[in-house]
Order: sequence, then C-alpha cells, then structure tokens
Amino acid sequence: MTQQQLPNAYTELDLANEKTKLQVNDLRLYYGDSLALKNINLTIPEKRVTAFIGPSGCGKSTLLRCFNRMNDLVDICRIEGEIMMDGQNIYDKSVDVSELRRSVGMVFQKPNPFPKTIYENVAYGLRLQGVKDRRILDEVVETSLKGAALWNEVKDRLHDNAFGLSGGQQQRLVIARAIAIEPEVLLLDEPASALDPISTLKIEELICELKSRYTIVIVTHNMQQAARVSDYTAFMYMGDLIEFDTTNKMFTTPSQQQTEDYITGRFG
Amino acid sequence: MQQTTNSPDVSPRSLLPTGENRAKLRRWRSIKDKISQYGIAFAGISVVAAFATIFVYLFSEVGPIFSSASIEKQQSFNSVAAKPIFTNLERYGEVGLVIDAEGLMQFFDAKTGAMTQQVKLPIPLDAKITSFAKGEPRSGIIAVGLSNGHALVAKHEYNLSYPNDQRKIVPVVSYPLGETPIALNPTGQPILSLAVQEGSSGTAITAFTADGHLSLNLFEAQTEFLTGETTFVRQDYALPSAPRSVSKMLMDTTLRSLFVADAENKVHYYDLTDPATPRYVEAVTAVAAGKQVTAMEFLVGSVSLILGGSDGSLSQWFLVRDEHNNFHLKHIRDFEQHSGAIQQIIPEYSRKGFMAIDVNSELGIHYGTSARTLLQESLDFKATNVALSPINTEFLVLSDDGKTYRFALDNAHPDVSWKAMWNEVWYEGRAEKDYIWQASSGSDEFEAKMSLVPLALGTLKAALFAMLFATPLAVMSALYTAYFMTPVLRGKVKPTIEIMAALPTVILGFLAGLWLAPFVENYLSAIFAILLLLPFMMLIAAWCWRYAPASWRNRLGLGWEVLLLIPVIVGFIYLCVSLSPAVDNMFFNGSLRQWFTDNGITYDQRNALVVGIAMGFAVIPNIFSIAEDAVFNVPRHLTQGSLALGATPWQTMIGVVLPTASPGIFAAVMVGFGRAVGETMIVLMATGNSPVVNFNLFEGMRTLSANIAVELPETAVGSTHFRVLFLAALVLFVFTFIFNTLAEVIRQRLRQRFSSL
Repeated sequence: MTQQQLPNAYTELDLANEKTKLQVNDLRLYYGDSLALKNINLTIPEKRVTAFIGPSGCGKSTLLRCFNRMNDLVDICRIEGEIMMDGQNIYDKSVDVSELRRSVGMVFQKPNPFPKTIYENVAYGLRLQGVKDRRILDEVVETSLKGAALWNEVKDRLHDNAFGLSGGQQQRLVIARAIAIEPEVLLLDEPASALDPISTLKIEELICELKSRYTIVIVTHNMQQAARVSDYTAFMYMGDLIEFDTTNKMFTTPSQQQTEDYITGRFG
Repeated sequence: MQQTTNSPDVSPRSLLPTGENRAKLRRWRSIKDKISQYGIAFAGISVVAAFATIFVYLFSEVGPIFSSASIEKQQSFNSVAAKPIFTNLERYGEVGLVIDAEGLMQFFDAKTGAMTQQVKLPIPLDAKITSFAKGEPRSGIIAVGLSNGHALVAKHEYNLSYPNDQRKIVPVVSYPLGETPIALNPTGQPILSLAVQEGSSGTAITAFTADGHLSLNLFEAQTEFLTGETTFVRQDYALPSAPRSVSKMLMDTTLRSLFVADAENKVHYYDLTDPATPRYVEAVTAVAAGKQVTAMEFLVGSVSLILGGSDGSLSQWFLVRDEHNNFHLKHIRDFEQHSGAIQQIIPEYSRKGFMAIDVNSELGIHYGTSARTLLQESLDFKATNVALSPINTEFLVLSDDGKTYRFALDNAHPDVSWKAMWNEVWYEGRAEKDYIWQASSGSDEFEAKMSLVPLALGTLKAALFAMLFATPLAVMSALYTAYFMTPVLRGKVKPTIEIMAALPTVILGFLAGLWLAPFVENYLSAIFAILLLLPFMMLIAAWCWRYAPASWRNRLGLGWEVLLLIPVIVGFIYLCVSLSPAVDNMFFNGSLRQWFTDNGITYDQRNALVVGIAMGFAVIPNIFSIAEDAVFNVPRHLTQGSLALGATPWQTMIGVVLPTASPGIFAAVMVGFGRAVGETMIVLMATGNSPVVNFNLFEGMRTLSANIAVELPETAVGSTHFRVLFLAALVLFVFTFIFNTLAEVIRQRLRQRFSSL
C-alpha cells in the first residue's frame, strides 16, 4: 500500500495547479422522472487518474457515461447543465457525438472484444475513421498493443479470434482498441472487477503507465484500487458528489463524515 | 428428531419437515423422476419410430420402380399346331390362339393346351398362304396373302360373359372385308409380303407381289343409313420405287406412313398422306452393312418401330419432323444386344415395351421410353413363337419340339429409370430430346413422360423468386426493427409480422391466383415501378427527413420515423397504379403485357412474378422472426463498445452487429428457403402448374409439391405414376432436409459462438 502511494507522495498534488480537462457544471440527470445526478460540479484534471468511488447505485457510472454521452442511448434519460471539455460544451448541438466518443474512449466492466480477430479488434476504430492503408494499420495495431502491454503475449496470433484470450488479456485488448484512435480521455468503468488478482494488477500497472498520455477517469468499487492508482478521488452518494480531493487526502483526512464512514467500511 | 425446547442456549426449533417426511418426499420424488424419465424416453422413441415408419413406407412405395423383371416357367403341354405363323393370348390368359400355315385358326385352353374351337379361314383350295400380316395388336386384325394374288382379312375377338357368375370367354372370328378373299392385283401374282392396318377412315392393305410391285388398297366402309348394310369403297394405288425384295411391311394406324424392310439392311419409308400421290421419302440403313433386318414391329400406337438385326441388335426408330416440316425416320436409341439374330419382336399391348427372342432362344424384355433392358434370359429349349398377354402378366412360348410353355411374368414398372427421370429423353413424335413431365393422358397409346427435372427446377424457380422478393424485405426489416426501432413500436411490429405466419397459405394462394395475378397483368408497369423505384423513394424520403426542421424531428422521437414511410409507400403505390394506364398508353401501345407478347416475350397470367410476391409474403414472417432474434440478441456490450469507439449507429450495424448476427440471418434465410421449397397451396393456385423448364419471370412452373397435390388423387394406386409421385415426395424431402439441416447446423454454431461472449 505504501509503495503504491509513493509516486503520488513525492509531488504535492493540488487542484489549483492542475490544467482542467473536463469541467462539469450544474449537471442534473433524470431517468424518466427520478433525479439520478443532483447538481454535480466537478473538475477533472488533465493527465491524471481520477477515481469515482461510492456505494452501488450512487450514480458514479452514470456520471462517467455522461463524459462520452453514452447516456444518449437510453431513451428515458434527460440531462441538464453542461460538461465542458477543453472549453467546449460536449452537450452542445454542434458537437458530433461520434467524434466526441473518438476523443473520449471507454472501457467497460466486462471485456467486450468483437467477434473478430485480435488484429481486427484493434484496427476497428481506425477503419471507422477511414484508414485503409495496411502499413498504418499494422503500425497502430502494434503500438496500441504495446501500449496496452499485450503485444508480447499476442504478437504470434494476431489473426486468431479474440475470444481465445483470457479475461485479463481481453480487457487489455479492449484498452488497446480504445487507445488506438488516440483519445484524450479514457473512461474506465470498473475495468478490473471481473478479473482475477494477477490480471487486476496488470491492469493497474497499465493505468499508471497510461496516465502520462491520457486523462483517465476510473469508476471502482475497490477502495484499495482507488488508493493505488488514482491521483484524485471523488466520493459520490445517492446522486450527490459528497467530496472531491486528492486521493491522499481523501483516504487519510477526509473532510466529510460520510466519506470517512464509507472509506472505513461502516457502510456501503 | 428430538424436540429441544425450553433450553435458551440451543438454536430455535427447526422449521423443516421431519426427517421421516423428508425421506418420504425423496422416495416420491425419485418415483416421479423415474416416471418422467421413462415417459419422456418412450415418447421420444415413439416419435423417432413414427418417422422411421414413414420412411420405410415411402421407400417401400418407391422401391419397386427400380426393380427388374422376372419370369417363371409354370406349365407345359403339347402344342396344338406344329408350325404356327401366328400365336396369341387373350387378356385373361385363358384362351390361346395359333394359326398354322394352312390357315387353320385353333383356339385352346392356355392352361392345359386342350383345343376348344377351330376356325378354318375361307381360303380357296387351290391357293396357299404366302404371306401373313397383323395390324395393331389390340384390334385383333390379321390378314393373309395368297398365292393367287388374293388376300383375306380376319379379326379375332373374345366375347366375355358371366353365366352363373363364371367367367366365360368365347372367341369370335369375323371378316371385316367379307369372307371371300379380295383380289389385290389383276395379274394374280403371289403376294410375298403384306401389311394391314385399321384406321379411322377405313382399312388399308399394302402388298408386295412376286413380280416386284408394291400396291396400296384402301377400303372405306360405308353403312347404308336405312338398311344398315355395309359396303366398301375400294381404291387401288401403285406405290413408286418398290425395293427389290421385301421381308416385312408395316403401316401405321393413321394410314399415312408405310415402312418396308428389305431383305438387306435397309428400311424404306413411304409417305401416303395423299394416297393418290404416294411419296417414297427415303431408305435408312437400319443395321450394320452385311447384316439384315430380321424383325420389325411397331410399339403400341404404331409410332415407334423396333428393328431387330441378324447381329442381335435392337433399335428404336420413329419419324421426326425437321425444320422444313418434313418427316424423316430417325434412329432414337439402342437396346442391349442379343447373342443371335432377332427372330421375333413381341410388343406390349398398352405400354411402350416389347419382348424379343433370338435364334439362340435368348429372351429379352426391353422398354422404349426408359431404354431399359429388364431381363435377358436364355430358355432351355428352342423357341419358335411367343405370345404375350395384353396385361403383361404371362406369356406362351412355343418350342420346335412341339411343346407350349406357359410363363408367369412380373414386369410392373419398366417405364421409368433413374436415368430417364433426370436426363433428356427423346419421346415419340418429338423433334429432339427433352425434359418433359406429362404423366397421364386419356389414351392408352400415350407415352408417359416422367422427367423430374421440370418439377425440381420449377420448385427451385418458385423458391428462388419468392426469396428474391422476401429476403431483402425480411432481413432489412429485421435489422431495422431489432436495432433502430423504438422498443414500444417494436413490441407491436414484431408480433404482428410473426402472426402473419399463421395466415393460411390457401388464402394467400387464393388471393394470388384470383386477385393478384389479374392485377399484375393489368398494371404490369405499375408493379415494375413499385418493385424497382420504391426503395429509392424510401431513400429519398429518409434523406428529406434528415433535413427536416429539428423541432419536427424531436417531436417524433428516435426510432419512430418509420411511421412517416407509411404515407410515402401508400402514396407512391397509389401514384404508380393510377399512372400505369397513361404510361402504358404512352410507351407500350396501351398495354405492357401485350407489348411483351408482341416483342416475343411469353407472358402467362400466372407466372413466377406473382408467385414470387405471394409466396414471398408467406415466407417473410419466418425469415423476419429468426433474423430479428439474431440481430436483437447481439449483446448490448458489443454495440456499446463499438459506439464508444466513435462509430455511428450505422457503422456499428455494419461493423459489429451484422457480422455477429450473420449466421442467424443466414439460418433465417435457409429456413425461409426450406419453407418456400415445401410450400404447396400458393404454388398450386398461382403458378398455372405448367411443367416448363426455364427461369422466365413471366412464365409459370410446376413444383414437386403442387404436382403431388394435383396428381396423387387421380393416379391408380400402385401404378408407376403413383410410385414416381412418391419419389417426387422423397426428392422434395431431400431438398427441405438439406436446407433445414444447413440452417440448423449454422444455428448451432451461432449458439456456440455466443456462449463464449
């Protein structure tokens, strides 16, 4: 535990010094008539790992899905307020949802490779962007798989079906698929909850490597994981953002009683 | 179990039933398990056994058509005549007839050989029989040519009566041209060869005399209206280019063609359509050079000639019309060769088969249409003459040692063969080989044409056009419904389409035959416009909607836009139909259908287009239902994964949904195809049932299923036709079996593929 905290400890993290990537202003989200997110205000710093923690049903995944507008797919979902990315409201009418989703990649809880080869899975996003040149595809597939620390394990079977991979490998393949289209933000929705401890460790190491290049937002149920991988942590409860601060502070001296109760395991 | 109450430190009383009760329940459960285990096994085995029984039955009905003939020697007795020139056996196999060289007709009991009746032909004492001829076997007409240039025509018939409920057969001999021999030529030259035939216009005799003349004599019967007296109008004609020698002459029942075999290897053909100007057409080389034609007979109907050669060869010939409308005698097919010169050919009475016997007493049973040789067997005595029963159940063989042998014959289905059913066959009177299905007719002389090719192709044609119509519609609508349509609308649309599968196909067929077919014929240009332009219309409507004001689009909501297409489609169809007469008037002289006919395109009212649309509607629910499930069951996390990568819904559909659902969609199409292949009522009522071999959109077809439905009620149980229909059913089953198996295998693979997701 202490070892993982070391990288965070040596520089004093402070929101005031960070460059803002995503800015959530007065965000309210309704499912039908019920209010699922109540007036969220939040700043996601660039090239840092931000973790959302909280009990089941508190709205952390819903909030995460607002960042790439995946909630648009839910018919009864309605959103008020705004989310600014680099100064542009992503809910503005002029925003192309596909382009937004290209720049805000997402990895789901359950590994979801397509029923295609490993190569085609990674190349899928590029093909969507109209890339047909085989050399470019080859290169991107290789760098992406290397970036997801999967290259050495699959380089000899790139053209095998992706379902032949283990769960942990599939999840890293999905990450490789996401970073192949050079996103700016990576949303990870409990990326390790369906994996065994070894695979989880690999994913966490990968997250630490990736944060130098991407802004990462991760939803997790596992507080140790949040403590290990994140720089900032947001605690949510019943659709409210209770507290947001550096991970170090949140896990040592939270300012809210609810946060402390949750972190110390009194409820949740 | 002990009660442990009143002690606060132990756990509270168990609420489970007592151990005894639980044991009882376990026993009862195991009994129920056993009952259901054996019950289900029994039911399952019963189903399999029922299917197996159906198959055994089908195969047992089909099997006999591929079996060959068999003969069995039954009795032998002393022949009534030593050297007969003619033998015969009547329909019940009771009365035999031999005619000897003296002109004595002797009827005998065909089971014991006891003579029952004798008739002496009224031949003058100073004349001798020099030639013999017989007409079509069923007419019983025979003729003898005499040494004094006269000829006598006689007829043997059998009167049937049932005194005391016993069958009694009395042979009767009559003389249709009078009892006195007729002088055929004034010079009194002996008649060396003779042909006789009874036609609708009278009786014809041709004679070849010792001085090398060939003559034709026509006798037309005229009955006096008041007295009932019959007189004959006789006309004599001399035929040109008589061959030097004549071994056998045959005239057909239309009295238009004469075939003369000479003593060498040639057969000469005379066209007597106009007897006043008889035409010598040609001489064909019937057997190899240096060999002779030793036997020549008509098959029933007197269209086909069977020629037997001194080398044992057997071949079938008939007149074929050439492109200038002239007939030529053509070699059609060969039969298996005998070891010695053919001595006698015995045609069957009501089928296109024949027996042949050669000088080595080898007996062959052959069949014309199917080109089959059903039996070749050497007899253990020297045969001189054979008489075949008209119903092909027995035959008599006379031997040169003065004995007559009676054989039982089993030759039920010589008329079809696997080869003849699937290959082109040259049928009598046709210009060339062809695939034809025409299994029955009112005439006994009819040659049954049972090629399964037109039916199999018709089945595929109907299914193909139905699939051309149904597949795009069903698959596209499945994609839209499962992936784009709003769930509320989907919940209504899907059950509605699925319930269409319950629509009785007889109603669809009825509508197709009686409403759609005339409608399509009258509004043909509208139908084409709808089929070809409607998809573009829909695209244009979609494109317009895309640029509609956002407020309109938001009011309707995502996934509801399909409702807007309804007025577009209805309006376009109405427009096409109302514009159709004007378009026809402007471009197609008033009627597109007539325009097709004028330009040489055959147009039947009930055609593949109508069937394609009607049967398409019948299979759409099947395809739609399975394809929709396949698309809808593509896991959400796959589509979301694709969308999260920046794919548009359309890209996700093409890139992820379609490949994942493709096996299911393929299986759906296969199930639809299997359904279309087996469909009966629609094709029965909307195809016209003409067994043509083509894929023309505007012509009909006859499918295997419709053919069975049409013909099975009319065919005789156990006949060849009946069994061929069963074979057609088997072929149909093989078709549907292949398609359904393919669909099922792919569906299993799909299930496997998704189990790992």
